[in-house]
Amino acid sequence: MTETWRLLDTEYPDDPFMNMSVEEAIPRSVGEGEAPNTVRFWHNSNTIVLGCFQSADLEVNYDACKETGTQVVRRFTGGGAVYHDAGNLNYAISLKKGHPLVPDNDLQLVFQRLSEGTVEGLRSLGVRAEFQPINDIQVDGRKVSGAAGSVRWGTVFHHGCILVASDLAILGRVLNVPGVKLADRHVASVQKRVTTVRDELQKDLTTRDVRDAIVRGIERSYNVRLVEGQLSSSELSLAKELYDSKYNTSQWNLER
Amino acid sequence: MSTKALSSDYKAPGGKMLRIRIREKDGRIESAKISGDFFLIPEESLSKLEKMLEDARLDEKELGLLVDRFFRGTKAQGLGVSPDDFVKAILSARTGG
Repeated sequence: MTETWRLLDTEYPDDPFMNMSVEEAIPRSVGEGEAPNTVRFWHNSNTIVLGCFQSADLEVNYDACKETGTQVVRRFTGGGAVYHDAGNLNYAISLKKGHPLVPDNDLQLVFQRLSEGTVEGLRSLGVRAEFQPINDIQVDGRKVSGAAGSVRWGTVFHHGCILVASDLAILGRVLNVPGVKLADRHVASVQKRVTTVRDELQKDLTTRDVRDAIVRGIERSYNVRLVEGQLSSSELSLAKELYDSKYNTSQWNLER
Repeated sequence: MSTKALSSDYKAPGGKMLRIRIREKDGRIESAKISGDFFLIPEESLSKLEKMLEDARLDEKELGLLVDRFFRGTKAQGLGVSPDDFVKAILSARTGG
């Protein structure tokens, strides 16, 4: 019998702090056995999302954030800072630990396996997407999607953002990219090493089109069926708790 | 000798960034802050490493043993950075990496 996963489109596009609270509430609930394996799609309006180990002061250009109305939130996973806007699609996969797709705690394997559905979805749209270790999906050497993840709370968790039609000019302004990182990749700016789905296809497609393609990509890649569901009331109250105690505090978001 | 603030940005070969900020006095670490775009699980273990670095000498051998003890003791898993990268990154703060 084909396995069924829950499909959520729960989002708070103008409240990145609530979005991130829900992002944590889901894997916690899946690990507790209170929620089924879940795939969530969501959007943020202009927001920098920092990796959990990053220094806000080093990574964020606060002046540019002020000018562009960009907010800053920290996620609970490692990896690098990313810029979200309405043209960026986020997805998150939470599987109960021990799931045969990702049987052990190998984070590199988690990224590779759980990027496959996204790669498949992007390819079905005509994007020549390839997984590029450690945690990128690239098209001809340019990053179109980055992932992060963890194994905690009894859950294997993987999330990523896909540049569908993001404003790359703002992205290049609000993030400070350290010189050594650019030098290593032999490219001059952050803008030149990223691309969008829309630029690759020269077609005016929406994040919804990409979301639908990835739903099918996930179903095909993992032989599962995604069934639309709701966030449970206990997940929502956990998210509200996390909002007050963590994600809506400058202590969590900025102090590292 | 007074306390000096040292910092470095270290890019692991083929991997991620380690950004080190250290307060150093008489060749010893008073406090250390490690940030960057690497992966480390469990995530909470990083503050343990920072704590372990306090009072350590800025010396390759001592730091090597300490970082090794951290990874063995916590069973932490790094991705994009190796134990050796942590040592090199911290040492590179001596010269401003």
